[in-house]
Amino acid sequence: MTYKPAVIFIEKHKKNAGDHVFRIMMILPALLMLAVFMFYPIFETFRLSLTNSSALGVSSYIGMKNYVYLLRNADFLAGLFHAFQWAFLKRRYPGPLAFFIAFACVTFKNPLVRWLRSVYYLGNVIPVAIVCMIALFILGPNSGALVTLANTLGWKWLAGIDFIGNARNAFPTLFAVATWAYIGFGIVYFMSCIDQIPAEIIEAAMIDGTNKWQLIFHVILPQAGYAIRIQALLAVVGSIRLFDLPWLITVGGPGNSTTTLGIELYKQGFINWQYGRGAAIGVIIFLLSLGFTVLQFSVKTEDD
Amino acid sequence: MKKSEGFQNEKFTFPAVLIHLFLLLVALLFIIPLVLPFLFAFKTRLEFAYHPWALPEKINLDNFVWAWKSVKIGKALTNSLIVCFGTIALTVPFSAMAGYAFSKFRTKVTDYLFYLVMSGFFIPVQMVLIPLVRINTTLKLINTLPGLILPLAAFGIPFWTMIFRAFFNKIPDDFVEAAKIDGSGNWRTFTLIMLPLAQPVLVMSTLLTFFGAWSDFLLSFIFINDPNLFTVQLKVQSLMGTTGNNYFPQYAAALLISIAPTVILYMLFHKHIMKGAMLGGALKG
Repeated sequence: MTYKPAVIFIEKHKKNAGDHVFRIMMILPALLMLAVFMFYPIFETFRLSLTNSSALGVSSYIGMKNYVYLLRNADFLAGLFHAFQWAFLKRRYPGPLAFFIAFACVTFKNPLVRWLRSVYYLGNVIPVAIVCMIALFILGPNSGALVTLANTLGWKWLAGIDFIGNARNAFPTLFAVATWAYIGFGIVYFMSCIDQIPAEIIEAAMIDGTNKWQLIFHVILPQAGYAIRIQALLAVVGSIRLFDLPWLITVGGPGNSTTTLGIELYKQGFINWQYGRGAAIGVIIFLLSLGFTVLQFSVKTEDD
Repeated sequence: MKKSEGFQNEKFTFPAVLIHLFLLLVALLFIIPLVLPFLFAFKTRLEFAYHPWALPEKINLDNFVWAWKSVKIGKALTNSLIVCFGTIALTVPFSAMAGYAFSKFRTKVTDYLFYLVMSGFFIPVQMVLIPLVRINTTLKLINTLPGLILPLAAFGIPFWTMIFRAFFNKIPDDFVEAAKIDGSGNWRTFTLIMLPLAQPVLVMSTLLTFFGAWSDFLLSFIFINDPNLFTVQLKVQSLMGTTGNNYFPQYAAALLISIAPTVILYMLFHKHIMKGAMLGGALKG
């Protein structure tokens, strides 16, 4: 067969034209949604953060004044501090605990453990609002389930602890509730990480006569290192944005003992109607998340 | 804490039993808070005041009736369902389509567009809340269910587009070529061949989007002010904060109704749902 250049040209472009249209049509809906509800709002947030826009009246550009205001605002600083505090605690306690439980689960593969795994993950599936309602219900100061139980048992010391209304207790309590809800995710995640380590590596280590602790620290942890770092990063980034749990249980806590950046954003933007300041907090949240992501991925060795 | 020698064997040694007990204890810690509402929801308020911790004397459904009628939790359920299905109807098809195009119809431009889409994954919702409210107000969508569905769907798209693209990447390009030779147009190839192949991802995306939309609190809280349009989560929130343990049985009933769909779905699909948890880790780079 001979191919005339013209025919080939036309054939190729016929196909390309059809593909081209198809390609555009397939991507367009997703892109449109993102453009309207994500990308445009991002620019708008950056822009708003430089204005004194609010629910009343005209907005004008005021440069970095919002940021200066925030850095002097005690509530905001509390929220900022709590973001870091939360992130730090998350890496310290639930992280290793989840890993330990995951390791234990992987070590014993029997139906009981498989059932346990589903139970652990259940906390992750239950909507936050419901978790908070249950938490309030159990931990409520004078009429909570824990208090009534303590009274029934005569444990006055337990009944006397105010988990939520007391500024010093509120934060750890919240953290404990969050751990209850979300550790299931960590457990399942780590389980799948450990499972993915090739069996040969483990067998080789066993043959070389490592004992169990060496196995964990020198074989499993390094192998799962990447995944662990991802989990750590998710935990940190989540801490920065936290809103639902502290808001629902303590509404930012007695005073500002459990406020977060997310809550401050809501307060500034939707209670005080100061859009400019709210937007500035949004920008700060974004920059912090970005910063932590970059930080996490530029530090090569991480152990937990 | 001791562990058994060797990895993944040795069933009944003492350390193994110890660890199992520990794991069971942890599981109990999880289950007890969830079982408590059951203890309380079936009692009358009087019964609760006198014997909070005893088993209910008889199964009393008054609280559930109360929850349904006065709290109008039925309406909230409907609203939540509308939001969930609306979100799924937007997120899943759009992500699948875009993922397919990004995978099989690549050009330099689409590669950049994909990175753009991917970057959306890292955007915290809080950051764009305020402009979103203004957009909704301008489009007259504030305080409506579609006004909630659209942003919810938009925030799910980056992640699922990435997942669909990764999935379609694994399907050899020859499939598309072969279908073309057989005379199938692009759209038909997509709907009749690729989508059935992508069934696992479709199931997972539907499930997880449902859960995400059902559990959502922040966006619903911001966008919906009309109590008639409250989703289940907002209804639950409106019940909280009223102190007085006289109301616990009734709240417990409302809570159980709110939890029921999630738990039922979870029991049916927990394998799929947990696979979704691991997807997050499968995304490399």
